[in-house]
Amino acid sequence: MKMPVCVLRLPRGPDLNSRGFDPNSPRYIALCPTTISAFSESGTDSCSLRDEQRTRSVLRERYLRSLIAMSQKQVWFNMHERVRVEAKFGASDIDVLNFQVSDLQTPLGIQKEALIRCPDVISYSFEL
Amino acid sequence: MNEWRQKNPLEWNKYVNKEVRVTASDKQQHQGWVYTVDPVSASVVLVDFQSTRKASVAVVMGHAVGEVEVLRDGDEAMAERLSAVFVPGGRQVLSQDELQRRKRCLRAWLEKNLIPVSEEGESLRVAGVLTVNPPYGPQDCSSANEIILSRIQGLVESNPG
Repeated sequence: MKMPVCVLRLPRGPDLNSRGFDPNSPRYIALCPTTISAFSESGTDSCSLRDEQRTRSVLRERYLRSLIAMSQKQVWFNMHERVRVEAKFGASDIDVLNFQVSDLQTPLGIQKEALIRCPDVISYSFEL
Repeated sequence: MNEWRQKNPLEWNKYVNKEVRVTASDKQQHQGWVYTVDPVSASVVLVDFQSTRKASVAVVMGHAVGEVEVLRDGDEAMAERLSAVFVPGGRQVLSQDELQRRKRCLRAWLEKNLIPVSEEGESLRVAGVLTVNPPYGPQDCSSANEIILSRIQGLVESNPG
């Protein structure tokens, strides 16, 4: 179980539209249902919009801090079909669609480096 | 898209600093204090303070959030405790006196090394091009000039006081 497994994974190519947070990029639209639709539906006066944006930034900053706290730590990922894997967390992408991890312990062996797709993850946990 | 993801940030914010029980799509339940809900993925970050001093964090991805049941509200102390959990390691909160002492000490050290330094509010302004913020460690220096930055950082690190 502890032997590293040589499985060839081709690296993902660069995104065509990866200039930061682009809600019109095909990847984003396909994979990440946007929360921006939430505020375009509600009655938008500038005051509530400002409050909403401020809250959005506060919440996002806290989430980013939680990601920083998680980096280089052992994290357990609960995936579909009751699959539970452990890995060392590296980084997340901006849309929280992929997690980069190292030493992913899978039923097949240990993947030295891997990308975990977030839609496949139900929950994850770690200790501080 | 599930109901949870359709909420807006103001609604998510209502759950922060509350203890909740989240049922995920795999029927597992997670209980803890809500630290935040990520507005991009609607993921819920829960902190559980176990009997030992360590905290354990569980995050339920937004797409997998089923039911969220509020168990109890947190008070100011809990809100502070939650924020403190994710402060980058090694940062303790220093008292005002200690901060002042460090500022004076660093200022004296820089002046001893013949570096012009002035005070700007709580920060030290070095040679007009570099700023040192509290708590006046090597990591707290900021400047547009890399060379000066690295020289002053080295100096701050070697401060014997």
